[in-house]
Amino acid sequence: MKGEWSAMRFDIVIIGGGLSGLTAGIALAEAGKDVALVSAGQSTLHFMGGSLDLLGSDERGNDLFKPLDAIAKLNEKHPYKKLEDVSRLAGVAKQILERAGLATTGYATANHWRITPIGALMPTWLTLEGMAAIDDPDKMPWRKVALVNIVNYLDFPTKFLAAGMRERGVEVDVKAVILPEFQQLRQSPTEMRSTNIAKVIEQNDLLVKFADQVNSVVGEGYDMVLLPSVLGISSNEKAMQLLRLINVPASYVDTLPPSVPGVRMQSQLRRRFMALGGSFFTGDQVIEGIYDGNNLKGVKTAKLDGTVLEADNFVLATGSFVSRGLVADYNHVYEPALGVDVDDLGLDRKTWATVDVTEAQPYMEMGVATDHKLHCKRSGNVMSNLYAAGSVLSGHNSIKLLDGAGVDMLTALQVTENILNQ
Amino acid sequence: MTIETQTQNMSVNNFEQCLKCSICTVYCPVSAVTPLYPGPKQAGPDGERYRLKNKAFFDEALKMCLNCKRCEVACPNDVHIGDIIQAARIKYSTHRPSLRDMMLANTDLVGTMASPFAPIANPVLKLKPMKAVLHGVMGIDKHRTFPDYSSRKFESWFKKEAAPKQSQYSKHVSYFHGCYVNYNYPQLGKDFVKVMNAVGYGVHLLEKEKCCGVALIANGMPKQAKRQGEVNMTSMRKAVAQGHAVLTTSSTCTFTMRDEYDHLLGIDNHDVRDSISLATRFLLQLIEKGEIKLAFREDYHKRVAYHSACHMERMGWVPYSTRLLRMIPGIDFVMLESQCCGISGTYGFKKENYERSQAIGKGLFDQIDEANPDCVATDCETCKWQIEMSTGTPVMNPISIIAEALDVEATRELNK
Repeated sequence: MKGEWSAMRFDIVIIGGGLSGLTAGIALAEAGKDVALVSAGQSTLHFMGGSLDLLGSDERGNDLFKPLDAIAKLNEKHPYKKLEDVSRLAGVAKQILERAGLATTGYATANHWRITPIGALMPTWLTLEGMAAIDDPDKMPWRKVALVNIVNYLDFPTKFLAAGMRERGVEVDVKAVILPEFQQLRQSPTEMRSTNIAKVIEQNDLLVKFADQVNSVVGEGYDMVLLPSVLGISSNEKAMQLLRLINVPASYVDTLPPSVPGVRMQSQLRRRFMALGGSFFTGDQVIEGIYDGNNLKGVKTAKLDGTVLEADNFVLATGSFVSRGLVADYNHVYEPALGVDVDDLGLDRKTWATVDVTEAQPYMEMGVATDHKLHCKRSGNVMSNLYAAGSVLSGHNSIKLLDGAGVDMLTALQVTENILNQ
Repeated sequence: MTIETQTQNMSVNNFEQCLKCSICTVYCPVSAVTPLYPGPKQAGPDGERYRLKNKAFFDEALKMCLNCKRCEVACPNDVHIGDIIQAARIKYSTHRPSLRDMMLANTDLVGTMASPFAPIANPVLKLKPMKAVLHGVMGIDKHRTFPDYSSRKFESWFKKEAAPKQSQYSKHVSYFHGCYVNYNYPQLGKDFVKVMNAVGYGVHLLEKEKCCGVALIANGMPKQAKRQGEVNMTSMRKAVAQGHAVLTTSSTCTFTMRDEYDHLLGIDNHDVRDSISLATRFLLQLIEKGEIKLAFREDYHKRVAYHSACHMERMGWVPYSTRLLRMIPGIDFVMLESQCCGISGTYGFKKENYERSQAIGKGLFDQIDEANPDCVATDCETCKWQIEMSTGTPVMNPISIIAEALDVEATRELNK
């Protein structure tokens, strides 16, 4: 039994099952490739909310209205500098989402603004259908808003949200609805979370009851009802149905995590990938690469003991520190799956972070080193068939620049094209 | 004095790695249908911090955990949430198993008693008055029907019909058949022998086989589970010493013996663990190495929907079974979205769990109705009972589908 290993062969093996890995997986499968994806646990899409950012802020923290213009001025280390045509790839990304059943508003030519769960307005690129989106933060589209929460639901901080909008001259009234079904949820306070509320509403078909409650507490005189995004966990259909049942125009606003729209994005992208014939290795982890010079021949995983996953090309899309795509110990930062090179900041740990936590943190820009075609490097040598995409890449700070989803999707699409055009 | 820095995480079950991200709560099938269960984060790593301080924080509601391990599969930080919960039950629960729990858990003993009386036991267990007694007195839900007991155990069939022929093969494996094959459904064991013989492998039983113990763990009898596990390990060690792989046709038995023995029962299985494998995985690995070939009947056609059993998902082995099934040219293959069927072994048989069990499985049953397959394929026997009862669609183990589709003569020729 021991000894020789068997091999499963694919055209492409992708390591990482978040936004970047799934985008590459779907794009490659749509091009007819046999793709396998290895995913170690669920992704940060669960914290992402209902919008995708392309580039929201410049280095000094100013909001950007025209992201494409600003991308042209980014420094050379930024991953966007390795894209052939940002505008075209942004269009492809929007279509990929659409075909996965994720309709969005917004375009790369002009940012719009999303409302964060704590009431700030942030520039963004694409927003899922049904979520509140504002074209210009200086001209609020509503005069009088009813902010409706569910009694005892704690992950929708209405005071912050109301304060944020009042600062911008909107009149806001906070209202609350009660349904007996939610009171039952309340028996276990740790479980009264967005995703469980969504399941309770959808399983018990509470849409009409919920809408009636909202209509009765809101009454007249409002031009917008804003609700926590606690609907539409498996598809957006029910979430949209509820909005139509409300007498006043209504939209959803992100809650604190876990995010229902984020979970939906994850599950619909995965469903799309599987429907295209992709193979998903769930809850497994790549632990070692098998190399032949500068060529990666196969990868071993923690669970498939005795089997190597072989492919012509590989994509590393394992995410940043929070997803364990990058790991820091006391002396250095490394990439744990394949041991590829990292653009780091040297051994002096003090230079990795700044004391003021609200300042840009230098460690955020550490990540996997790549050449202009997004090939990874190993001991300084460019790997011929191993690419990196998404947050694992070096050269940008997604918290400061608001470019996380854009980097995830567009570098994945560029890697896809680099592989297909080899 | 030198200051030592801990550079590696070393907490039991990766407990310290929990970031409190709550992703596990999204995937718990139990908390999705009942607020009475505190959910994996609270029942697992959060609650553990309190339990470590004072055992009074142990909550008997943890018995609602299915041990499906879907929280562990979802966890981005490899925290063994399900293990933390089950270990807490073993360590702190003061709940004593009832007669019903003992009967449900002792699959071996009950099977041994029922098999000789199968012609009587099977129809009697289906009678309404009997079900009413089981429901009222025993707490076994009236909606459930016990799987039929076979009047001839697999072991008896094997010893008489198959064992004498196994020495003619040059390569050999041992088979851990499990309780289900032995007492309820010997046909799966026969299918396994048919397939292995066709590819040139002789099949042997272990010197002594006991129930893997999964139901004993679930019903609060870890000591008995450990004793049985030690017996299995001793037999398997002997088989491995002869160069045999130890194969199974049940994902849950496999998972229990490979992972739960060590994690929950403290049985040292490191020397045999790698040799314990599921038959589908063993076959696919041999095919990929070019060591065996399968030939299939040209007239075979079937629409098959594959259901990923929870423990199959946890082992990460779903692709072995699905890739093997997809090799059959006559199969129209549908991959069902992975979700728990709700039965979780003996859990769904208990009347207090019945409604919850069906609510958990509903999404899966709807998917199956929509896919409208000729049969559902899955590697777990209790999923089979649940899906057959709840959807009316027949359920087959992938090995039985391979056996049915196999051109035995052509396969024998290819593997001479």
